Amino acid sequence: MQKIEVPFHQAHAKIREFYNVDKHHFIAMNGIDLGDKMEVQWFFSNYEIPGDVTMFTTFTNYEDIIPSLSDFIKSAWVTECEFYDLFDVKIEGAKKGFVLEPDAQDNAPLRRKK
Amino acid sequence: MKRTLTIPMGSQHIALLEPLHFRFTCENEKIVGVDADVGYVHRGIELACASKFKFRQVSFVVGRVCGLCSISHTTAYSQAAERLLGLDISKKAKYLRILVIELDRLHSHLLCLAHTAENTGFEALFMQIMRDREASMELLELVTGNRVQFDYSCVGGVTRDITTDIEKELTRKLAKLKTDLEELYEVFRTNWSLSLRYKGVGALNAQQIKELNAVGPLARAAGVAIDVRSDTEDLLPWKEVGYKMMVEQTGDVYARNIVRFREMFNSFEIIENVLRGMPQGDLVTETKANPQGEAVSRLEAPRGELFYYIKGNNTPVLERVKIKAPTFSNVAAFIEIFKGQEYASVPPILASLDPCLSCTAR
Repeated sequence: MQKIEVPFHQAHAKIREFYNVDKHHFIAMNGIDLGDKMEVQWFFSNYEIPGDVTMFTTFTNYEDIIPSLSDFIKSAWVTECEFYDLFDVKIEGAKKGFVLEPDAQDNAPLRRKK
Repeated sequence: MKRTLTIPMGSQHIALLEPLHFRFTCENEKIVGVDADVGYVHRGIELACASKFKFRQVSFVVGRVCGLCSISHTTAYSQAAERLLGLDISKKAKYLRILVIELDRLHSHLLCLAHTAENTGFEALFMQIMRDREASMELLELVTGNRVQFDYSCVGGVTRDITTDIEKELTRKLAKLKTDLEELYEVFRTNWSLSLRYKGVGALNAQQIKELNAVGPLARAAGVAIDVRSDTEDLLPWKEVGYKMMVEQTGDVYARNIVRFREMFNSFEIIENVLRGMPQGDLVTETKANPQGEAVSRLEAPRGELFYYIKGNNTPVLERVKIKAPTFSNVAAFIEIFKGQEYASVPPILASLDPCLSCTAR
């Protein structure tokens, strides 16, 4: 797996520069709550190179709004809505209630609790 | 005169096996807008895996993500954990993993085809396929000890070996099942009534599949050659046991059915080769280490690419387990596929998409 760390404010531009719809398959978006900040990851595989997986990673505060990739990856909204539900960290355009019910007891199960 | 209607479907519906909600906006009979809600069965499995269970137990916890593709989840997780631990498992364990993965594909594809027949109004065909599917369920029980929640793969290998008697039973029952499926294949290929509901219905083309990042038989039916088995030779020896990529071109319900049949015939070939070439070796490779660092693992489950990301911090409990199931990747495609279709075609299209909400919501 190739890991590419990018500054938060350049994440959208760097991934857009990398992504080619005919070449890359967007696998998923992932997050890790590090206690004082979030690590955000985007995974891609390559149709042409067997076994090739690229991970873009960046770090952000809980209050930051993560840029959406939906403007160039049509299906990105699915994983972005899930991310917002599970971590309660905002992503441009993402709506709550996609994976969790709006009245769920724990509204951000993967956020570390103080 | 056009009349616009909003028709809800689900979360509980006769055409759905699991809770899923659609809102179709229709102009007369034609669907012009679709909205989906997949969030009914979130069980917090990712959180449990990274807080309540040790990494060795996690392979059994993730087996509970889904009753149908339990084997895929336990194997994909185990492969990721083995990568972190630097474990090289025996060739025998790899062969046994392939054996159960392909048995799992047989029963899962047969369930989908049965459901597609049922949603087209062919009750008798549904029952015939379910009867045949029973053979694959019995074989899974014979090999793993369970009909669902197989708990077969574990970190370091597999939990059970097969005996000569099991091998004989596998060969006997699979030969019968293969003959039965050849008859069913002819029905799906040539039955005129079925073709009215399947051909040209619910189609996506290759470009749409790539734009929507769809996976599995849905993508392969549209001519996109994406199958993790062709990508992960380092994890399991797929080429050695005769794996072949199955691709169709039309991307409709018919093509998805045909891809599934062709994959099942390839599964028979793979299982025969696995049994014929079963190597000697340990079932489990042991280690006392704790996982440290991060690793990903991909596996071709019956519905497509299953993805695991895990992160360890040199303690028995992992820091993060991320699961991306194939249906989750296909949600965006599900929504696109219905647009422009007749409302009456929704049940067979939905069945042919083979959604698994248990995996999706986790």
